[in-house]
Amino acid sequence: MKERIGVYICHCGGNISDYVDVKQISELVKEEKGVIISKDVMFACADSNQVDMINDIKENKLDSIVVASCSPKLHLHTFRNVAERAGINQYNYVQVNIREQCSWPHSDKPKEATVKAIGLIRAGINRVAFSESLEDIEIKTQKAVIVIGAGVAGMKAAIELSRTGNDVYLIEKDYFVGGRVASSNKVFMSDQNGKDIVAQLYKEIKKQNNITLFTATEIEKVSGSLGNFNVDIKITARYIAQNYDTALLQAAIEECNIFVPDEFNYGFSERKAIYKNYPEALPDVPVVDIKAIKKDLGFTEKYSKCFNLTQESQLLSLQAGAIIVTTGFDNYQPKEGEYEYKNIANIITLPELKRLIELNNGKLIFKNKAINKVTFIYCVGSCQTEGENKYCSRFCCTAAIHTSLQLKEKYKDIKAMHLYREIRTYGKQEILYEKSSKQGDIYIKFDEATPPLIEQKENNLLVKVKDILTNNIELELETDLVVLVTGMIPRANSLETGKKLKIPTGTDRFYNEIHPKLKPVETVIKGVYIGGACQGPKNITESVQSSLSAAAKVNALIKSGSIMLEPIIARINHDSCLWCGKCEEVCEYDALKQSEINGKMVAVVNKASCTGCGICAPVCPSDSIELIQYTNNEIEAMINGFTKKIELKEQEEVEAVLEEKTAIGMKEFPDIWKKIAASITEEAKTIPQISKELGVKNDVITYNIMTMNKYSIVDAEGIDDMDEYYFYKLKN
Amino acid sequence: MAKTKLNFAEELKKYGAEDFEACYNCGNCSAICNLTNKDDSFPRELIRFSVLGLKQELKGSIKPWLCYYCGECSTKCPRQAFPGELMMAIRRWQISTYDWTGLSGILYKKTFAYIIAFILTIAMVLGISEYLNLTHEKIMHYGHLFEMFAIGGVFTFILLPNIIRMWYWSIYKHNIKFNFMHYFKALGELFTHMFTQKRTLSCEDTQENKIWWFEHMILVLGYLALLFTTVFLDWFGSKNMIVVYFGYIVSAVVFIVTFDFVIRRIRKSSEKTTFTHPSDWFFVIWLFLMGISAFVVRLFIDLNLLENSFFIYYFHLIVLVQWAIIIVPFGKWSHFLYRSFAMYFDKILKIK
Repeated sequence: MKERIGVYICHCGGNISDYVDVKQISELVKEEKGVIISKDVMFACADSNQVDMINDIKENKLDSIVVASCSPKLHLHTFRNVAERAGINQYNYVQVNIREQCSWPHSDKPKEATVKAIGLIRAGINRVAFSESLEDIEIKTQKAVIVIGAGVAGMKAAIELSRTGNDVYLIEKDYFVGGRVASSNKVFMSDQNGKDIVAQLYKEIKKQNNITLFTATEIEKVSGSLGNFNVDIKITARYIAQNYDTALLQAAIEECNIFVPDEFNYGFSERKAIYKNYPEALPDVPVVDIKAIKKDLGFTEKYSKCFNLTQESQLLSLQAGAIIVTTGFDNYQPKEGEYEYKNIANIITLPELKRLIELNNGKLIFKNKAINKVTFIYCVGSCQTEGENKYCSRFCCTAAIHTSLQLKEKYKDIKAMHLYREIRTYGKQEILYEKSSKQGDIYIKFDEATPPLIEQKENNLLVKVKDILTNNIELELETDLVVLVTGMIPRANSLETGKKLKIPTGTDRFYNEIHPKLKPVETVIKGVYIGGACQGPKNITESVQSSLSAAAKVNALIKSGSIMLEPIIARINHDSCLWCGKCEEVCEYDALKQSEINGKMVAVVNKASCTGCGICAPVCPSDSIELIQYTNNEIEAMINGFTKKIELKEQEEVEAVLEEKTAIGMKEFPDIWKKIAASITEEAKTIPQISKELGVKNDVITYNIMTMNKYSIVDAEGIDDMDEYYFYKLKN
Repeated sequence: MAKTKLNFAEELKKYGAEDFEACYNCGNCSAICNLTNKDDSFPRELIRFSVLGLKQELKGSIKPWLCYYCGECSTKCPRQAFPGELMMAIRRWQISTYDWTGLSGILYKKTFAYIIAFILTIAMVLGISEYLNLTHEKIMHYGHLFEMFAIGGVFTFILLPNIIRMWYWSIYKHNIKFNFMHYFKALGELFTHMFTQKRTLSCEDTQENKIWWFEHMILVLGYLALLFTTVFLDWFGSKNMIVVYFGYIVSAVVFIVTFDFVIRRIRKSSEKTTFTHPSDWFFVIWLFLMGISAFVVRLFIDLNLLENSFFIYYFHLIVLVQWAIIIVPFGKWSHFLYRSFAMYFDKILKIK
C-alpha cells in the first residue's frame, strides 16, 4: 500500500484548464486518503516542473505519484523517468488522461468534464495506492535467427542479418534456392534475369561465414519463445553420395535415359531422373528422382558410387532468438473450366507462358502451333467480388504487360490483346503500360459481370468480349493463345506453417501483421516476423523491402544478447492453482504451461511470450491468475474511486484560473516567455521590436510568440505601417 | 458482333495517323472538343474503332467529317496520341474507301505514285502538243476545252459515283428510310457548308482559328471565281477589261492565301499544321502554282510577251492538268466535296 502520494494536475496551457476546473480538483483531491501534495501546474511535462516534482518527492518522501494530463501514449515514459530520477520505482506512477478523455471531447460541457476528471483522478490515486514496485524482465537471447524460405526476400534478410553479426539458419523447402524469382526470365522493372538475381544472392550467402543454408528442409515443430526458439527441422534426402566424384556424376547425368515431365516447366518439357530445376540452379548439386531412377536398375548399378539411394531424411534441432518467415506465395491455379482452362487447348496461365517464352527461341510454338496472336485475360483469381480472393494481387497487371513487351521483343510480329478490368501499373510501372500501348498492344476493358467467353473455332480460339470502352460493343477476337493472368494466393501449406509458428492469418488467408502501417512486419508472436509475399501480394521490390525491414527489426532486438520487457504480464497464485488447463487453452501466445512446483501441478507463465493481454484471468475457475498492474485490488479500488460521490462548488473560479494563466512570473513559463510578456505588458510590439529589445534572434521570438498566441497568452493587435508585422500584446 | 482487324493501325499510319495506339481512353479529347456532343461522340470513339480495327463501323461513320481540326484535342492529349491527326487520317482512309477506282488509296499511301502520276501528265501534255504539232493558239484553245471537259468528266465519272458510295455506307446501310422531303429540306446545309465552312467557327474560339477560317473562305470563293473566270468567261481570251481585272484579283487571292498556308505548314505554327501529309503539300503547292501561273500568263498576254515565252503557258497547263485529274478527284481537293456532303447527310439523319 502506498501512503504518500503526490498528485499533479496539468493545465496543458489551457487545453485542459479552459474546460476542466483544475484548481478546484486539485483542492478536492487533497482530501483523498494518502495524498500528501496536490498541485495544479501549467505544463506538467515542462522541464522546470519535472525538477519541481523530483524535489517534492524527495522533500516529502513521496512513495508514488499520479499525473493527470494527456494520454499516456504521449508522456507515460516522461513521468516514469521522473519517478526513477526521484528514486521511486517507475511502476509506482499512474497517468490519468484528462485531456483526450475529458476536456477535448466534452468541451461543450465543462462542468461534466470536471466531474469526470475528478472521478478518473480519484481512480488513479486509488490505483497507485495498490501499485507494486516492479523490475523489467530481462530475456537472454540467442544471437541466431531462423529465416524460413530462401526466395529473394529470405536470402536478402539472411545476408543482412549475417552482415550485422548474427548467425542465420536459412531454411528452404525446395532442393534449390530462389523461389518464384528463379522461374522468371526477365523481371520488371530492371529487366534483369531472375536467375541472375538468385545467383548473385547465392554468391553473397556463400561469402558470409555465418549463414547455414538448409535446402529440401521443412519445419517440423516450433517451441520456445522470444530469445530462445527451438525449431525442429527435417531435411529430405537428395540421394547423392556424400563424397561423389564430380566427373562421374556428370557422366551419369549425360548417360541417364530416364525422362519424366518437368514440373518446373509445367510439363512443357521433360527432365532426366537426375536433375536440376534449370542448368544454373543453386546449390550446384543435382537431385535424384528416386521413383524414376529405379526404373533402370542397371544404370544405378553402374554409377552406384555417385548415389546413395538408401539415404534417409535427417532430423535436426536449431536454436534461435527470433524467426523471420518469408515463405512467399503460390500462383493461383484456375479451377477446371474457369475460362475453359484445361477444357480447350491453348489456354495457359501467365507463369506457364513465362516458362514457355524461356523454352522457345526464334518462334513461339505451343502444341505444334506457331503463336501470332495472344490474348491476356486479367484478374483471374483476383479481385473477385463474389469469390474467395477479394484482394487485388498487385503484381499481375505489370507482369502481364511486361511479358507482352518481352513477347514483342523476342518474337517481333506478335500481336497482344489485353482484356482487363482495371490497369494497376502503379508508380514507375506506368512506363511499361505506356510502352506497351505504344507498341500496338490492344487494351479492352470488360466488366466482371460479363467475363470474356472463349470458343474453339477450327484451329483457332475465338474470344468474345464486351468492350466497356467502345459502347459495350461485343467484339470477336481471333487468337492463337489465351493467357490467364493469375494472381497470388497463400502457399498451400501456409496454414500448417502458420499453426506451427502460431501466427494468425487474415481474411485473405495470408499471414497477418500487427498493424499495417505502424507494425508492418511484426506478428502477435514476439520474436516472429514476416516478410515478403507470405504477408500478401507484393512485387519483388516490395518483398525485399519488407524482409529487410524485418531483418533490421530482428537485429535491433537480439543484437545486445538480451531483451528488456515490461513486467506487465500474468501472475499465477501457485497456492490456489489446481492446474485445470483452461488458461493454456485460451492463451494465444502459448505463454502458459503446466509445470510441477513443490510437488504440485500448476500453471507457469513464460515471461518472454506473455503479452499481458489478460485473457487467462477471467477463465481461471479458482481465480488464481491476475494481471500485474491490473490486479483485482487495483481494479476494485479504481471503481471505488471513480464512483465516489462528488460535490462540486459552482464554477466561480474560472475567472481566477484565467487570471493565473496570464499572470506573469508563473514558473511553468520558460524564461523567454516571461521576458516577452514583460516587454509587451504595457504596449503592443511587433516581433522585430521585441527581438531588438531583448537582443534575441527574430526567429526565436517568432516561434515563442506563436506558441504564446496558441495558448491565448498574447493577442494580435493590428498591423504595422508597412503591412508587414502584427503587433502583439499580452492578453488581459 | 463486331469483327476486329488487328493490323488496321498499321494501315491507318500510312494515311498519316500518328501514335494513336498510345491512347489510354481518358476521354480528354472528347471532353475538350467543341463540336462533339451526346449524339456525335468523337474523337475517342473513333480512336477505339481505329485501335480495334472495326472497319465496318468506321466506314459507315460520318463523324470524321464533323471534325474541323482545330487541334485542341492533340494539344490536351496526356499521352501524345494526336487524336486530331488521327481524325485527318481517318478522313483520308474513308476517301480511299469511297473511291471506286482505288487510286486515292494508292496515292495517299505512296508518295512516289503521286510523282509518277505527275511525270505521266507532263509527258502526256507535252507529247500530245508535240504529236499534233499544234500552234500556240491551238494549244491555248485545247487547254480551255480541257478545263471544261475535265470539270464535267471528273465530276460525272469519279466524284458523283464516289458520293453515291459514301451515301450507301453512311445512310443506306443504316436502314434509313428514304424520304424525299428530308433530302430536300437538308439541301440548304450542303451549300451553306460548302461555301462558308462555318462549322470551323464553332471550333476552339481563338483568334488564330478565326483568321484561318476567313482565309480559307476567301480561298474557296477565290478559287471558284477563278474557275468560273477562266472556264466560262475565257479569261485568257477575253477583251473585256472587267473580266481581265477580276481574273487578276481572284488569281492573286488564290496564290497569296495558299502562300500563307504553305508558310504556316513550314513553320508548323499551330497544332493543325504540325503534321503535313504529302497530299497536303501537293494540295497547297499546286493551288499556289496554279494561281500564280494563271496570273503570269495573263500578265504576259497583256504585255505581249507570251509569244516569246510560251513555256510559261506550258507550265500553267501542266499544273492545271495535274490539278484537275489527280488532286481534284483523288487528292485533298475532294475533302471539300465530301465534307459538304457529310454535313448534308448528317442533317438528313437528324431530321426527325
